[in-house]
Amino acid sequence: MRILIVDDEPPARDRLRQLLNDVGAQDIVGEAGNGHDALNIAAREKPDVVLLDIRMPVMDGIETARHLNQMTVPPAVIFTTAYDEYAIEAFDANAIGYVLKPVRRERLEQALNQAARLTGDALLEIGRRPGVSNQRRHLCARLHEQLKLISIDDVQYFVADQKYVSVIHNGGRDLIEDSLKSLEEEFDNRFVRIHRSAVVALAAIDTLKKDEDGRTRVILRSGENDDELIVSRRHVADVKRRLKKG
Amino acid sequence: MASTPDAVEKQAQAYLPDFCAPGTVLVILLVAELVAILLTLVAHESGTFLTELSKMSMFLLWLALPGTGILCAIRPWAERQGHTRAFVICFFLLVSMAGILAEITWQLTGIFGQFVIINDTHAGFVVRTLATSSIVVALSMRYLYISSEWRRSIVLEAQSRISALQALIRPHFLFNSMNTIASLTRSNPKQAEEAVEDLADLMRANLNSTGERTTLKEELETAAIYQRIEKLRLGDRLKVRWDVASLPMRALIPGLTIQPLLENAIYHGIELLSDGGQVTVTGKRIDDQLDISISNPVAADQRRRTSGNKMALSNIRQRFELAYGHRAQVNVRESEHEYCVHLLFPYDEGSR
Repeated sequence: MRILIVDDEPPARDRLRQLLNDVGAQDIVGEAGNGHDALNIAAREKPDVVLLDIRMPVMDGIETARHLNQMTVPPAVIFTTAYDEYAIEAFDANAIGYVLKPVRRERLEQALNQAARLTGDALLEIGRRPGVSNQRRHLCARLHEQLKLISIDDVQYFVADQKYVSVIHNGGRDLIEDSLKSLEEEFDNRFVRIHRSAVVALAAIDTLKKDEDGRTRVILRSGENDDELIVSRRHVADVKRRLKKG
Repeated sequence: MASTPDAVEKQAQAYLPDFCAPGTVLVILLVAELVAILLTLVAHESGTFLTELSKMSMFLLWLALPGTGILCAIRPWAERQGHTRAFVICFFLLVSMAGILAEITWQLTGIFGQFVIINDTHAGFVVRTLATSSIVVALSMRYLYISSEWRRSIVLEAQSRISALQALIRPHFLFNSMNTIASLTRSNPKQAEEAVEDLADLMRANLNSTGERTTLKEELETAAIYQRIEKLRLGDRLKVRWDVASLPMRALIPGLTIQPLLENAIYHGIELLSDGGQVTVTGKRIDDQLDISISNPVAADQRRRTSGNKMALSNIRQRFELAYGHRAQVNVRESEHEYCVHLLFPYDEGSR
């Protein structure tokens, strides 16, 4: 069993390594101090199980789990946490594996034996709990077998064409596997739909402008002005309202 | 969580008793009757006591019942006018009502002269009623004022005790520390030993300081112990700069102030930064005021996300208010990259 340990505290990682040794699970393929690093190691090492702390800098455990779930062969996830009453409620309700810190050997052994992949629904359910955010801070694009993380803050807009959704961000353009509808729902406080197949970040919009054909165009702060950014008549009022609200 | 302190606060603010409640009405009737007996005892001539008393009772009930009715009606409004003003308003309202009723009484005796005779001039009767009722109302208002102050201070004190209890070590910290110790037990038994000792000291300091004020020296020591434990867990990510040398160490401060603020700075600031950062504690004395601030860096994308755990802060606010009233300030300064809590409070020196 290939295991990846993710925790931002060195002593907590040590403890897990000690206990894994005790129970004879010795194939530890890596250790990471935050979710971001964990995803990179996971993409490279393809662990079977990820022991995942919840409260971490850069990217928390819940979001990391959602990205891990997008891998071709998602690993099983066992959360480790000291005290997160809402998350734990959700784990129990959705049969998601977790161990409480200080970690007990028997409990870890049991969790490893039962370790199973998470379902997307169960993860969404966790995010709905108070005190847990349902909004990811990153999107995950898959380039061959590598995961590429794109910060939501860098995203300018999403466009759907037939099967895939492209994300246009400060670093270029990538394909992601989320649907436009789910993205719009997840980030509805920061994004606005401008036509049937485009959703734009409010923060990225500089202004709206009418072109010579009388169509309303979104002008981005980056200066970009693509035909993808024509606001459909249905959405003009809504876009204006959202922009005014800031 | 939010509902309980709110309810308690409301109780603390309700300084006027509920005049609509049957119990209160009964007490008022009783007091009116006692005053009637008192007045009659002082004024009566031999043999006429009962007659005089019944006349006096009737008159006083005639004043007391409408008075209670008015208080019952205006109480919700008066409560909103603020503590002292509510009592002043009630006083003037009741006395002027007594005057009006006295006038009505005089007019009525003119009509039903054969039943009731008042041995006084018109003006004399009204003035006498006004004077007596002012004294009685003033005394009862004073009594209500003092007892409401007393109730309020009891509630505030209970609140601050609860606050102090809530400020006790957070479960998150406790379990994480236990996990660290479990880990160190094997890898570095000596460090584990020290950590257990530190944790015990910290718990003891926490338990001892419920509600009491403590010296700055003790408070800073507790915070330093706390810092040592967190350091084991966070390693180089945690740096704390103490710039407090110029503070008078004998000064008193409500217990459990600096440690919880340091805990907040670590929990909401340092822990969420992958490279960690520096918490800065600065303190200085400005004349007879002490000025302590605790600031921490904030992860760039964190501010938007955390609604924040404001419990420790509101606890500290409450305890400062109880200890110093308006003479202390607890302020928060927030910028994109920094969060800073600023304490300003009077310099008191302990006898110990």
